[in-house]
Amino acid sequence: MTSIPHEPSASASASSPAEETLRLIAKLPAPTGLEERVQTAIDAVSRRGRVLAWPRTLRPESSWMRSAAAAAIVFVVAGGGWGVYTHVEQNQPAKVIVMPARMPAIGGFGGAGAIRTPQTLPGPKAPQAVKVNSETSPARLKTAKKPVAIAKPASGGTSRPDNAAAEAGAPK
Amino acid sequence: MSTSQAIVAGWMESPTSAVNDEARRRAEDDALAAMVDQYASALYRVAYSVLRNQADAEDAVQEAFVRVLRHRDSLGEVRDQRVWLIRIVWNIVLDRKRRAKTRPETDDVAELARVLPSTGLSAEELATAAQHHAHVLGCVDQLPAKERQVLMLSAFEELSSVEIASVLGISESSVRSRLFRARNLMADLLDHERSLR
Repeated sequence: MTSIPHEPSASASASSPAEETLRLIAKLPAPTGLEERVQTAIDAVSRRGRVLAWPRTLRPESSWMRSAAAAAIVFVVAGGGWGVYTHVEQNQPAKVIVMPARMPAIGGFGGAGAIRTPQTLPGPKAPQAVKVNSETSPARLKTAKKPVAIAKPASGGTSRPDNAAAEAGAPK
Repeated sequence: MSTSQAIVAGWMESPTSAVNDEARRRAEDDALAAMVDQYASALYRVAYSVLRNQADAEDAVQEAFVRVLRHRDSLGEVRDQRVWLIRIVWNIVLDRKRRAKTRPETDDVAELARVLPSTGLSAEELATAAQHHAHVLGCVDQLPAKERQVLMLSAFEELSSVEIASVLGISESSVRSRLFRARNLMADLLDHERSLR
């Protein structure tokens, strides 16, 4: 192994106080009992790990345990596949639900093919349009004479005196 | 051999493999204990040179060995355990240093006065020496990270440039050039500080 060359250069001589200090620190003795304390810490960590460790016969690294785990996985996968296969019926006709054709309400809006439509109150009903007869056609109405007002007979003599005079043809 | 035969064979040989596991585990524990005895001090010095705090350095060493414990199955694949361990602790201390940046700087002078060897030095001399070293360390902290790391690792006489390169994950020529730059920068910084006084 090659060691660091300590060539006697100007920079090396100038930086010697720094290296002297660093060497001094690098040579400082370790505190007494360091090894024991480190060993105790390792033992504590190791013991903590053993509490949660697998039992020796069930260690994951043992070959038979690995084989058993692999067999269990294969069994579960194959069993699951078989279960799915047996539950699926082959050549089963597709179940088609026939929906009743929706008829739009008379005078209302259509459902636009909606599967569900909310129940609404019955809408307002428009009155039936009056059927126009040929007798009451506008052409005929124009030519028709105005109906003569038929004087109603006075009932019980309660008609007014001016009305009576008019009926008698007297000048007003 | 069919699968069922293999499973039965596994059942049959399980007591033997359990004994083997136990023996292997004990051997790994022994190897780890030997590593702690051999390298804990060196790792502590590496950690202390960066963290400059006794408790933090000790924590870093413990964390490094706990990491080793987690990967003890692959201990046999490690070529140079010493460099490997130094690399682990180096990464830990750099990470801690980065996280501790938000905390106030540790009082280097007081800490150095406490840990420096005081044989043959009066209290006044010890305080002056601690102040000087703290000042030098302040200059080291001003160096760029790459140069500073190489300079600090070069202070460990047990680490060659090849090993420093291995710890930092760079080439040996990079180590040399960075060390050269670090020395020049340190000389400039110290000259500048001297001229200011």
